[in-house]
Amino acid sequence: MRRLEHIGLLALPGLTFLAVIFALPLFMLLLKSFQIDGQFSLEEYRLFFTDEYNMSVLWRTLRVAALTTILALLIAYPTAIAMSRANGIWLSIFLVAMVLPISVGVVVKAFAWSIIFRTRGVLNDILLSLGIVDTPIRMLFTETALIIGAANVFLPFMVLPIYAVLRQMDTRLPEAAASLGATPVFRFFNVTLPLSLPGVVAGCAFVFSLAVSMYVIPSLIVGERQQTLSMLTARSFLYLRNEALGATISSILLIIAISVVLGSSWLANRLGARS
Amino acid sequence: MQGSAGTEPDKRAYLDVVGVGKAFKGTTVMSDMDFRVARGELVSLLGPSGCGKTTLLRIIAGLTSADSGDILLDGRAITRVPAHRRNISVVFQSYALFPHLTVAENVAFGLRARSAPKGDIAPKVSEALQLVRMSDFADRPVAALSGGQQQRVAVARALVVDPVLLLLDEPFSALDRKLRETMQVELKSLLRDRGMTAIFVTHDQEEAMGVSDRIAVMNSGQIEQFATPSELYARPRSSFVMDFVGLSTRMRGRVSKTDGPVMQIDTANGMVLAHGDYGVGTKVTVGVRPELITPVAGENTIKVTLADAMVLGAKTQLHGASHPEDRLLCEVPGIQTNLTRGEDVTFGWSVKDTLVYEAPR
Repeated sequence: MRRLEHIGLLALPGLTFLAVIFALPLFMLLLKSFQIDGQFSLEEYRLFFTDEYNMSVLWRTLRVAALTTILALLIAYPTAIAMSRANGIWLSIFLVAMVLPISVGVVVKAFAWSIIFRTRGVLNDILLSLGIVDTPIRMLFTETALIIGAANVFLPFMVLPIYAVLRQMDTRLPEAAASLGATPVFRFFNVTLPLSLPGVVAGCAFVFSLAVSMYVIPSLIVGERQQTLSMLTARSFLYLRNEALGATISSILLIIAISVVLGSSWLANRLGARS
Repeated sequence: MQGSAGTEPDKRAYLDVVGVGKAFKGTTVMSDMDFRVARGELVSLLGPSGCGKTTLLRIIAGLTSADSGDILLDGRAITRVPAHRRNISVVFQSYALFPHLTVAENVAFGLRARSAPKGDIAPKVSEALQLVRMSDFADRPVAALSGGQQQRVAVARALVVDPVLLLLDEPFSALDRKLRETMQVELKSLLRDRGMTAIFVTHDQEEAMGVSDRIAVMNSGQIEQFATPSELYARPRSSFVMDFVGLSTRMRGRVSKTDGPVMQIDTANGMVLAHGDYGVGTKVTVGVRPELITPVAGENTIKVTLADAMVLGAKTQLHGASHPEDRLLCEVPGIQTNLTRGEDVTFGWSVKDTLVYEAPR
């Protein structure tokens, strides 16, 4: 017991660092959102939630984050399955393909997407030359482009947790299911999928948290036209000089993030409890 | 040959593995494998790890595909039939119970997979659990079960679907010795009662001899001998089978003289007589089962210096000092405390009990 306490001391530098650099400023920000002229007040929140424009930004943010998560999940799940069955050189290729893009700056990636999506961009050129459309479609500055771009950037955060869970799964389980007469589809829905749910929950929590607070990607893909909460926060602080509004929006984002983390860990625990 | 399957293999074969070959990444694990099992027979595939016994089991189950050859079950070719349509249940070494399901849900899995009518599932599951005496555990998660209980659930899950064949991959290896023996007796009578045809894969010769009607001893992708336990023990066809099944005294030697059916063999411990027709000069391995040797002179007699006398309770093992590649072993019934290390003794046995194999070149 004493030994364990001593080992706990090793976490002290990390905890101190986080307390000073992360928790303290966050706490001050939270405090600021509840204050008007030094007095405790919920007025900022009332103003925020009664403003139609703010609400539309909130819903857009949540909608984009949710759709990004769903899209990333749909793409990531088969990828994770393929990776969990790969070995040797193929596994290395998969892992590098997943991890390397993380090290490429998000600005670079978002800019790459804007090249593809813009009016005379790669995608429109292809569609035009194939005769599928007569006039270029506006893709950049749309929510669809934002969701596709964000799903791309956050894909590794969905693939890797699912892959980790699938990799750990006993390969005999699907085999046992097959020998008991389960078709590949039945096996997937009754063995592989339920056992991989903790990974799915973790991946969704990652991607949703990242997507709900993303700033660079919407700035580059949709621009100022369609604001998200992060962009609104930045605008409040940088252009409107309305620190109270900025602090309020930040706090709302924080609450969303915390609920996602707590909710997902509760869900993962529940799912994991039986196994 | 004893056993019904030995006399008329073609007519009686229920499972018929014909000329199956398999290679992994260019390494051949088995080639031209033939293997026949009669209906209702309990058979073991016995061999050291890497001998191909698990591969053969997986090919029969349809979990691994054969590169060549055919598998027939009850006269029907199932070589290209996927595992889930073979109706062959497998009990895995680690049991492979579904960790997210309860005991009853695990047992119900195969019935649900076959879309059995809802009303049929519950009674069948409770009957199967009763069969393995696990009814009280129906609603428990499987992670909370002990090894023996998990094995029972795995057996119930495999049997509830009425498989045409049951395959068991090292089913007892995760259990401790006492429990293993109990479960062997239990499982064997359960399979007998239901007239189930079953194939056990094991590396444990005692287990194989205990549970099976016939044993196929496998070595590097080949079946060295497929016979009843008593036949395997008394008349092993090769020195590998002799060494793998049971203990034996074994000595390297050379045929020095032949006299009709009797050969005279020179060994490091003296001259030994045996039946056989190897030519003079042939290098051979001589073997004798230890309980057939007595510590008094016999038709064959060798002088031995005792390296150890181990009292094992029901029997006492006398180990003679020998060349590391030879082994001198005699088992006498009961407790013998009058013999000690360093003492000179005589090992004697009859000519008909002497096994002789040509030594590998």
